[in-house]
Amino acid sequence: MERLLKEKQKGKRAPKPEAPPAVAIVVDAKRRHDVKTPASNYRDLVTLPVNQNQPLIMHIDLNSCFSTIEQQANPLIRHKPVAVAAYTRDSGIVLAASYEAKSMGIKLGTPVREARQICPGIIVLMPDPPKYREAHSRFKEILTEYTSDVVPKSIDEFVMDFHGSNAVQKGRNMEDIGREIKQQIRERMGEYVSVNVGIGTNRFLAKLAAGLHKPDGLDTITCHNLEDVYKSQDLLALPGINRRFKARLLAAGISTPYEMYQASGRYLRDFVFFSKLGFMWHQRLRGWEVDNVEWGTKTIGHQYALEHRTTDREEIKRLLMKLCEKTGRRLRRHGYIAHGINLSLRYAGPTAAERMAGSVNEAPTDEYGRPVKVRTGGWNGWGHYSANASYWQESQKVKHPLYATQEIYRAAEAVLQRARFVDKVSQISVHVFNLQACDPEQLGLFDAEKEQQRALAQAADDVNDRYGEFSVVPAIMADMDKTILDRIAFGNVRDIS
Amino acid sequence: MREVINEEVSVVSYFSARRRLSLPHIISWRNREYAVGKIGFHHTIRTGETLHHIFELTDGDQQLWMRLNLDTSNLHWTLEVVSDGEAD
Repeated sequence: MERLLKEKQKGKRAPKPEAPPAVAIVVDAKRRHDVKTPASNYRDLVTLPVNQNQPLIMHIDLNSCFSTIEQQANPLIRHKPVAVAAYTRDSGIVLAASYEAKSMGIKLGTPVREARQICPGIIVLMPDPPKYREAHSRFKEILTEYTSDVVPKSIDEFVMDFHGSNAVQKGRNMEDIGREIKQQIRERMGEYVSVNVGIGTNRFLAKLAAGLHKPDGLDTITCHNLEDVYKSQDLLALPGINRRFKARLLAAGISTPYEMYQASGRYLRDFVFFSKLGFMWHQRLRGWEVDNVEWGTKTIGHQYALEHRTTDREEIKRLLMKLCEKTGRRLRRHGYIAHGINLSLRYAGPTAAERMAGSVNEAPTDEYGRPVKVRTGGWNGWGHYSANASYWQESQKVKHPLYATQEIYRAAEAVLQRARFVDKVSQISVHVFNLQACDPEQLGLFDAEKEQQRALAQAADDVNDRYGEFSVVPAIMADMDKTILDRIAFGNVRDIS
Repeated sequence: MREVINEEVSVVSYFSARRRLSLPHIISWRNREYAVGKIGFHHTIRTGETLHHIFELTDGDQQLWMRLNLDTSNLHWTLEVVSDGEAD
């Protein structure tokens, strides 16, 4: 590994790194910190020791959010296996499982059919997004009484920064504050609602601490117990490390969080992450804050998992229209216009019998049987099938900005024309991108029609605001009232309130 | 088992000035009266400009769970769903 680093320093193109033995990383840990400090800020921080400041970041997450709220709302289903699923039919997918269900192996992504096989008495419920949004607001209201710096990370997760807060200035202990918050949540949200509280010097450690003793845990990670925590955890327990990153770490000879913590930022950059992410992980693991970043809105869109999978193009167009209407509503509410559209279709996997019978159309392949990336018509358009023909997607930049629902639908429909249905469609998603604030916008001389369309869209929005969603809809959406239900996106908090 | 009802029902509600709470107290449905036992969750939803208060509660015997909807535009109560807390 040292040889590889030296070769890189000399400017030689290092061969693909071999996986060094895990022991070597531990042995060389001291020397690795002696790597010269590079110029940029990230690299300056690499040589910093573990953050020894007082832990003032608190991460709070609600235990099994959707199912816990359902159990709070209905005392008759408490202490029973409960799953909230996209659909209660067997084809539905579990979105949240209660702790009783989790103890039987039912978790996020488990098909309802399988959940019922594992636990025949499981109570399967449809999600109730307004209820979860209300719980989220109430949750936030309680937390803002302790510090003004409360950032929602998802529907059930918040990060609180206590730097400069009254509570800290009064010399209060962070764990005492955590216990008080837990008590307040029980009193004001319901006795069945419990939260995990984690305290650390940065968001990463606070989140890691919150996951140490679920449910209803309260833990603090400081510079004193940091190494013990890393020694007791698996790589996948680290927030932000998924299976893909774990495979990369293993390939680089890092098999535990402790070994990752001991590796230098330079090593993580050159042999694991191949970007500045390596340095960021180096700082993160030592308790320095690198995640205090607010990302702007890059895309707006919606997706829909079809209850009845189909290859009927007209049916798909109708669903597409509704997705475009929902996308358009959000686009206009946020005051954007868009300069590009992305459409993606996910196909239902064929059954084993269908595959054996050869009755399923496969995605186009080349002479070696590899999936072909399909260049489609139109300027700046591209699309491709996935390796196993499970999805198709295409993005298209547009010359005229998208604002009204009709404009979005026309662009999406043009993209849809180029899609080949290799199997029944199980999921459709529409996103607009290249967003730009729409005021002030320069209209062309011959844009009177466009102006009328936008005024119409605005008028329809006003009616829908007053009388409820989909009170006024395009003709193609007639009698589609209950199709495409209200959902909460995982991790997206922009439109929760 | 959950059953969708969507029937208007008679409700006696009370307002506590001390606790600053307004809650349903007795529900009359299909010629039977149910005293409200435990209120599990209360939240609001909007249909356009109309505000609805949703109360999820159990009866006094803890045998039946109900979802009540108060439409604030006309102050009508609707019993939307009932459940005995068992799987479908």
